[in-house]
Amino acid sequence: MDIAKKLTEALGGYINKGRVKSPWVIHYDCGSCNGCDIEVLACLTPVFDLERFGILNIGDPKHADVLLVTGTVNHRNKAVLRNIYDQMPDPKAVIAVGTCACSGGVFQDCYNVVGGVDQIIPVDVYIPGCAAKPEAIIDGVVLALEVVKGKLGLQPLPKTTVFE
Amino acid sequence: MLKFLFALVALALSVPAGGLLAGLDRKLTARLQSRMGPPLLQPFYDVLKLCGKSPCVSNPWLVFCSFVCVTASALALFLFYMQGDLLLLFFVMTISAVFKVAGALSIPSPYSNVGAQRELLQMLAYEPLITLVFVGIASVTGSFMVADVYAVETPLLLQLPFLYLALGYALTIKLGKSPFDISACHHGHQEIVRGVLTEYSGPQLALLELSHWLDTILILGLCALFWHTSFVGMVILLVITYLAEILVDNITARMTWQWMLKNAFGPTLALAVFNILWFYVR
Amino acid sequence: MLHILLWGCIVLPVFAALVTLVCTNEALRNKIVFGGVGLTALSAVGLALYGSFALPIPATSMLGSLITLLDFVLLLIILSIVISRRHKLGLAFALAQLAGLVFLDFGLLDGHAPAAFIADTLSIAMVLIVSLVGGAICIYAIGYMKEHEEHLRLARTRQPRFFFVLLLFLGAMNGLVLADSLAWMFFFWEVTTLCSFLLIGHDQTPIARTNAMRALWMNLLGGVAFMAAMLFLQSTVGTLSISQLLAMGTNPAVQAGAPLLPLALLCLAGFTKSAQLPFQSWLCGAMVAPTPVSALLHSSTMVKAGVYLVLRLAPAYVGTMLSPMIALAGLFTFVATSALAVGQSNGKKILAYSTIANLGLIIGCAGIGTPAAITAATLLLIFHAISKGLMFLCVGSIEQHIGSRDIEDMRGLYQIMPRTAVITLIGIVTLMLPPFGALLAKWMAIEAAAASSIFMPVFVVLIAFGSALTVLFWARWAGLILGVNPLARKAPSTEIQEDTVRFALSALALAAVVLSLLSPFVYAGLGPNIAAQFGLRGLYTVSWGLFDNGIGLFAVYPIFILLGAGVWLAIRAARKAASTADGSAPCLPYLSGIQMVEGEKIGFNGPMSSLVQPTLSNYYLAEWFGEATLTRTCNTIALVLLTLMLGGLI
Repeated sequence: MDIAKKLTEALGGYINKGRVKSPWVIHYDCGSCNGCDIEVLACLTPVFDLERFGILNIGDPKHADVLLVTGTVNHRNKAVLRNIYDQMPDPKAVIAVGTCACSGGVFQDCYNVVGGVDQIIPVDVYIPGCAAKPEAIIDGVVLALEVVKGKLGLQPLPKTTVFE
Repeated sequence: MLKFLFALVALALSVPAGGLLAGLDRKLTARLQSRMGPPLLQPFYDVLKLCGKSPCVSNPWLVFCSFVCVTASALALFLFYMQGDLLLLFFVMTISAVFKVAGALSIPSPYSNVGAQRELLQMLAYEPLITLVFVGIASVTGSFMVADVYAVETPLLLQLPFLYLALGYALTIKLGKSPFDISACHHGHQEIVRGVLTEYSGPQLALLELSHWLDTILILGLCALFWHTSFVGMVILLVITYLAEILVDNITARMTWQWMLKNAFGPTLALAVFNILWFYVR
Repeated sequence: MLHILLWGCIVLPVFAALVTLVCTNEALRNKIVFGGVGLTALSAVGLALYGSFALPIPATSMLGSLITLLDFVLLLIILSIVISRRHKLGLAFALAQLAGLVFLDFGLLDGHAPAAFIADTLSIAMVLIVSLVGGAICIYAIGYMKEHEEHLRLARTRQPRFFFVLLLFLGAMNGLVLADSLAWMFFFWEVTTLCSFLLIGHDQTPIARTNAMRALWMNLLGGVAFMAAMLFLQSTVGTLSISQLLAMGTNPAVQAGAPLLPLALLCLAGFTKSAQLPFQSWLCGAMVAPTPVSALLHSSTMVKAGVYLVLRLAPAYVGTMLSPMIALAGLFTFVATSALAVGQSNGKKILAYSTIANLGLIIGCAGIGTPAAITAATLLLIFHAISKGLMFLCVGSIEQHIGSRDIEDMRGLYQIMPRTAVITLIGIVTLMLPPFGALLAKWMAIEAAAASSIFMPVFVVLIAFGSALTVLFWARWAGLILGVNPLARKAPSTEIQEDTVRFALSALALAAVVLSLLSPFVYAGLGPNIAAQFGLRGLYTVSWGLFDNGIGLFAVYPIFILLGAGVWLAIRAARKAASTADGSAPCLPYLSGIQMVEGEKIGFNGPMSSLVQPTLSNYYLAEWFGEATLTRTCNTIALVLLTLMLGGLI
């Protein structure tokens, strides 16, 4: 019994390591001007090479661990955002990329705009910027991994969830 | 008995080997694109992470299919290590492919359904080729047993060079490498999301990944049979073959299934038949 | 003892048939069907335990005259049918047969020739298939026909006629496989043709009548070939006994000469019976018949009569120029009809084409003619009969429940018919995957083809393509029946089924699996006979469930055990997943995040927030594999092959 327990613990440790080392990303554009989207895609290019951290842009919520959202949430797409978030199996993290996704940006209080992503789903890391720079996005994803570690109880949660 | 133990150990070792190979593949691909690429152990991290995801099962049959899929892949590889019958192990490998497709079809999702149909067409393209390759091997060795390949004194490659090309073609399709990543793409996403894999998630996806590793090892094992006489030759052949696969994967774009079928049934089949006839006449 | 067993196999079903015809009480009639089928099955098992035998019937016996008399009656019945339908081609064929029979009986045969009932393991295997598989199908028919007639709302039940023909057929089929004299076999052969005609037209819709007529004339053409072969044999060789013919066939001096043309004609008769290209259209048309008929006559037994004849005669033509031609014709049919099956979405039509394909493979193996190939042919004959009969019965039940035989409509079948869906899955898996018998046979076929003659590359290419196409159309069918609706909060409902239907489905599914598990024993029964007729070269030896012939090894038991363990684990995991999923939010398929739920329907959120359900469909690739694309070309090629086969001998 003892061995079995130890084994599960060890396996759990490895799984946690995997979780930190292999965040697969799904990218959803809520209503962005495409500025942030281009920067997200730029992260995948040879210059920035997100795959160094095991990050893949996977495109299927059922396979993804991290939801990258760009743009403001509006009434037409809030349900879609919710659906995609719900279809991601736990554990998962959400990153709001760009000022619009963080708070609604210049579109805040528009008649058709709900506001930032956190109005609809819980957000773990905010990456402000118009547009957010690729370096900032990469650091944001790494910060999200710290948050994940904190949630898994591997270390205390980081003091900030906003990358500046 | 010794053979049995050896096969068991080899099978157990094949799992890490397959994972490492997949890691190497990603690393090399990244280097070819002048990127750093993920760590070598990345595929293991991926699979471990997938194992730890919470289950999201829209149909229990999906779980069933993923288990059968990995069992069949492992069994096919085991038969290979037992130096069994080539055709038989190929048929066992078919079980794995069939259940992967069946699981994808059991979900009313358009993406997984289209992916499954394309996967079936890929199977249609590579199955006759692989059967012919085995028959070609048998026409040289006089037997379908892996064990009897070792009794031949010259490398098969020298007698069946065209068949080896056909095998390479079939393997590219079987491994779903570009230009034949038609049913599901291993990197990034495509127009049908993740194709046949779309609805497999978490632990089920991990099992499919495992079965893919085992299939890769088995396929390389089959390639190795073409230069069984010397260990060095075997390694050289495998390295060249796999490098060529990665190169082709990187320099080609995805083609349509129509193109795939026409090329598999036309030139490639002609190559295979020509080689068998050539050997037969000689 | 032997007389009683033979009587039980051949005459008893005919008696039971006659009683069902006059019996008006439904319950009593069902009991008679049960009893007749049960006793026939018992006799068949008894015959199998008795083993091979040869029972000569002296020329003075009344039986000979009786069969001659019945032969004339039968041909007159057929003649009256074609006259009443005003079918010119059919009339010509029927008249030709009648003329041939008159000439044979009064011109060539002086009085009655001695005849015999002879059984080797092949015939016994056929008797077992006919009586056991056929029996299960007849029992299924009791429940099926009750519901079938409820759907049709007939004023007066037509079941007496239906069961009369069905049981009559069982007797005729047993007679066919046990008769040694070609003349007797011809009689039973034509009885099965007539039964097939009557059963295809049973529902009396215009399309049923047309298709029945087509089946009749094509089979009559086969009958004419059969008759011509008999006339030829009687006038040149002077015997109609198959055993004497085979004894002659192994004599090289005789082999080089005369008998090849009649053998080719007999094979042609076999081709028509087995609906080989270009005669496939009658079998496809026969699918209008009630499903038990398709299962019994048009997949597991009657069409097997054709391949049985080809297989039976194999020792006589092996090694001659006839045998590669037969192999070529059969294997071409295998590929062509497998391709045609890919283009179909109609479940029964897929089964029909796949049946023709399997028969083609059996004929191909008979043509290849090595001991291993003959083993493959025989095993395929047995395992195909069980699994394909099962598949037909499943489609029949499904059709009665969901009102369609289109496989597209079977999506999500597991939700509404969990039992039948699992049994259908078993049927499909036993037909296409290892370690089951049908695949064992296919494996033997490929290896035998690879070890065969100068035509090896052609044979191998044909089989390789055929097999790949087969996997395509089975796999997609297997996948889509497993669907469940993730929104249906209750577990799949249990099905309500007639007891007879349920019994037949379970029995055949069990038989398909268990007999595959016992395939080494099945082979142990068949092997010596094949060795005696075809020699030992390349024949399999079986030990510990491993089929081994030096060039290949099929590990039945190890694969069964290891895969079985995997499947057991899979079932446990699936059960666990199902139970943990209970109560939690349903997991919907990925629909780009714009999914929407309305009641139990899932779809995209469409214009004006309306539900747009995605339409799923298999690829049927009509431009590659459709009937319109392939049929004409394939028929032409097949016709050329047949012409070469016959013409080459003249």
